[in-house]
Amino acid sequence: MKHEEIAHFLLEELQRKGADDVVLQLNTGENTLIKFSNNKISTTKTWESTNLSIFVTKDQKLLNTSLKSFDKEHAKRSAENIIKIITKMQANKDYKGIAQGPFKYRTENELYDKKIEDMNEEMIDLVKQAIDTARKKTKRTAGTFEKTVGESYLLTSNNVEAREKGSGLYFSIRTFIDKNSSGYGSCVSRIKNKLKILQATEHATQIAKEAHRPKKAMSGKFDVIFAPHAMAAIVERLADNASIFSVESGLSCLKNQLGKKIANEQVSLYDDATIANGYGSTIFDAEGTPTQRTPIIEKGILKNYLHNASTAKRYKTKSTGNAGLISPRIFSVSLKEGKQNKEELFSQIKKGIYITNVWYTRFQNHETGDFSTIPRDGAFYIENGKIKTALKDIRISENMLKLIKNISVLSNECTQIKSWEVETPTFVPYALVKDVNITKPN
Amino acid sequence: MDEGLAEFSIQQAQKLGASYVEARLEETTANALVMKNGAIEASSFDHFEGIGIRFLIHKKLGFVSTNELTKKRISEILEKAIKLAKATRTMGENISLSKEKTEKAKYEVKQKKKLVDIGIEEKIKLLQEANQAINRTKIKVPSRYVVLSDTDTREYFTNSDGSKIFAHVPKMNFYYFLTISANNKTTQRYWVYGASGGWEQVLKWNIPKIFTKEVISMNNILKKGIKTPQGTMPIVCGPQVTGIMVHESCGHPYEADRILGREAAQAGESYIQKGMKGKKLGSSIVSIADDPTIPNSYGYFLYDNEGVKARRKILMKNGKVNEFLQNRETASAFKTKSNGSSRAADFEKEPIIRMSNTFMLPGDYKEEELFEGIKKGIYMKNFMEWNIDDKRLNQKYTGAEAYLIENGEISTPIISPILEVSSLKMYPAIDAIAKNVELHAGDCGKGEPMASMPVTLGGPSIRLQGLRIK
Repeated sequence: MKHEEIAHFLLEELQRKGADDVVLQLNTGENTLIKFSNNKISTTKTWESTNLSIFVTKDQKLLNTSLKSFDKEHAKRSAENIIKIITKMQANKDYKGIAQGPFKYRTENELYDKKIEDMNEEMIDLVKQAIDTARKKTKRTAGTFEKTVGESYLLTSNNVEAREKGSGLYFSIRTFIDKNSSGYGSCVSRIKNKLKILQATEHATQIAKEAHRPKKAMSGKFDVIFAPHAMAAIVERLADNASIFSVESGLSCLKNQLGKKIANEQVSLYDDATIANGYGSTIFDAEGTPTQRTPIIEKGILKNYLHNASTAKRYKTKSTGNAGLISPRIFSVSLKEGKQNKEELFSQIKKGIYITNVWYTRFQNHETGDFSTIPRDGAFYIENGKIKTALKDIRISENMLKLIKNISVLSNECTQIKSWEVETPTFVPYALVKDVNITKPN
Repeated sequence: MDEGLAEFSIQQAQKLGASYVEARLEETTANALVMKNGAIEASSFDHFEGIGIRFLIHKKLGFVSTNELTKKRISEILEKAIKLAKATRTMGENISLSKEKTEKAKYEVKQKKKLVDIGIEEKIKLLQEANQAINRTKIKVPSRYVVLSDTDTREYFTNSDGSKIFAHVPKMNFYYFLTISANNKTTQRYWVYGASGGWEQVLKWNIPKIFTKEVISMNNILKKGIKTPQGTMPIVCGPQVTGIMVHESCGHPYEADRILGREAAQAGESYIQKGMKGKKLGSSIVSIADDPTIPNSYGYFLYDNEGVKARRKILMKNGKVNEFLQNRETASAFKTKSNGSSRAADFEKEPIIRMSNTFMLPGDYKEEELFEGIKKGIYMKNFMEWNIDDKRLNQKYTGAEAYLIENGEISTPIISPILEVSSLKMYPAIDAIAKNVELHAGDCGKGEPMASMPVTLGGPSIRLQGLRIK
């Protein structure tokens, strides 16, 4: 309560000194992480912080800062300093203001579980179970198990006052038969009882087993099945391209594509921070607008860019509830599932490749969408729907727009992915993509 | 900064049973200015203060941090963290640290023009001049995203062995991402400059000149560039390309924690194995160093975050595996000494093995001499897209500014030449090394949660033979 009082005091001080828009976001959080490698826990980590983020505008000049000492004296000095510095700034003519509250917010939907707050030593037992499970079929494991508990309080000069409490668990595991044969699995949940650690472990273990004795690389055009971890890394990038910030900064292949058909009819992509138990779900964005399910691509057509209140005004549209403190951002990406089961996808492959995970997705040109990404963990050559052999040393060298256009079938079940490579939680099914360009090294 | 809190943390953790404790107090001020498409988008200034404490209890390793700098809170979090580390009793790895010299030191990077004295108006003026420099070229640059930032970090490190180290290191960073457009086509280029020191380092970069050169070169590629001829031919790489190569396929795989599998689920594994010291992996003219002690470098430090004195490490010496990057934990496992490679990204992150300034050592040639005798080849001056596999073998570099070499001279611009090559073929393929060493800034990612670390990557221009260009 004391910290919230300081936030109110700071808001008044800033307004009294002539600030136009003010957004104050008080975040408190505590994280615990168990890191394991070589079948042993290698370290335990706990970190906590309390932070008041401050966004202030005056005469269309924008400033971000924060307050770490929560007393009136520091708040007063901070307000003075902010106004002193902001007057020396230059106006951002593109800035059109923050969201006008008050807003009505939906009730929290599986975002917080008190049971997670109380987990500590139990996390070690769960890691042990995972390692024991993996060791039945593989030789070596490494991974992390992280717990997050936090609260957010938002106060703005435009009549917004909102609170949100959240918890989360994130487990990731890599299992190895040997240096060349590995599998990856991960799971996330906001609710303790919904975390599927053993399922993620079994998934990783199965891939590692199948990846045993990989053959050398192949290159050429192949029909490729992307498992959720691989597809999420690509789809997360695509969704991020829909932020109007990306579009304006040259970081988007979706520029000039609004209203155009960019994929086949079964492809629908959303940013959806309203999903129950979504690791990236949140009730309100950084300026207090309630979050929503925003279609980015619907039935293959690019429907929306992601906006905050300011950019929405500029483009004569409505905020999509995607405000970050400066620019719109994705919260929780969702690629709609298809109708066939995973096995049916495999049965459609005569000669193709199955990729379970990728990393290092890098672009030569973000606007044209030319990029490459490199498989990590099991990758396989498929013949007549069956895994024929494990592959190594392959790379996907492609164009994002072409790859999206070539999505041919999506499986009927989505998995929520967060991983070292996928920072924004992303719901994805398995995907069959036609004519994917696979390359190999010298 | 109240150093007493660090001392208190050591004593408190020892009282709770820790056999080894280290505490790192940090105070950082950070400023950033963002310019988008020629207009100032926003600015930020910030001040962070906190403490990170790492300890060993019953040979189990634990870490805890907070930004609530009171004895009461430190006691509370330590109690909780030690309880958690103790609970790993049956599952935890037994960790021991190499014995190292106790150090007492104070060091500071001097600033001729102190960052604190540089007002926001001056920074805005510099970015505006840079933007005008682009405008003066009359070249279409529809998207321009630029960030100029600086940090001023003071840290106090102490440990239960008795080391006490004060450091004051100001750093600055300039990032740009430009889209150049002509004839309905675009090309893009990003790069980063970084240094430790004062504002004089920023002025030395000459940002308007960087933009002018970059825009003119990339426009030339866009307008006159031809399709890259494919085939096996000599390739000359500029210092930026050499830099990313040595960072990705020598620096990372020579990190001892990776070799031991400790980063397997995050930053990955290594093709290098424990017993490979002395193995020939490159041509005899190739030597690669990691050296944090280079004055005014972006990866600068004199003592690492385990209190070990920093020094130059020669990772690859005359083509042979020579030395790995070690911290006290891995040094103990390798039965050697730490070479001061432990770095914490900030007070919230545990110190782990990180690169500093990683670069290929210079050869005897002038850059232009590398082209001599090449009938047909490729000059890849810099790059955009790159990636590398988990073990750091299979890597790809796609040229941004690149040219054909014909009859010993740079000739026609070419579009996006691709070198996709295994580390085991790349280092032996180097047959000539120039003298023109450059160090370029980067922010390297490792750990979980992701800890971004200022480093430099560099080297001279190099020539490679017998590799296929796509």
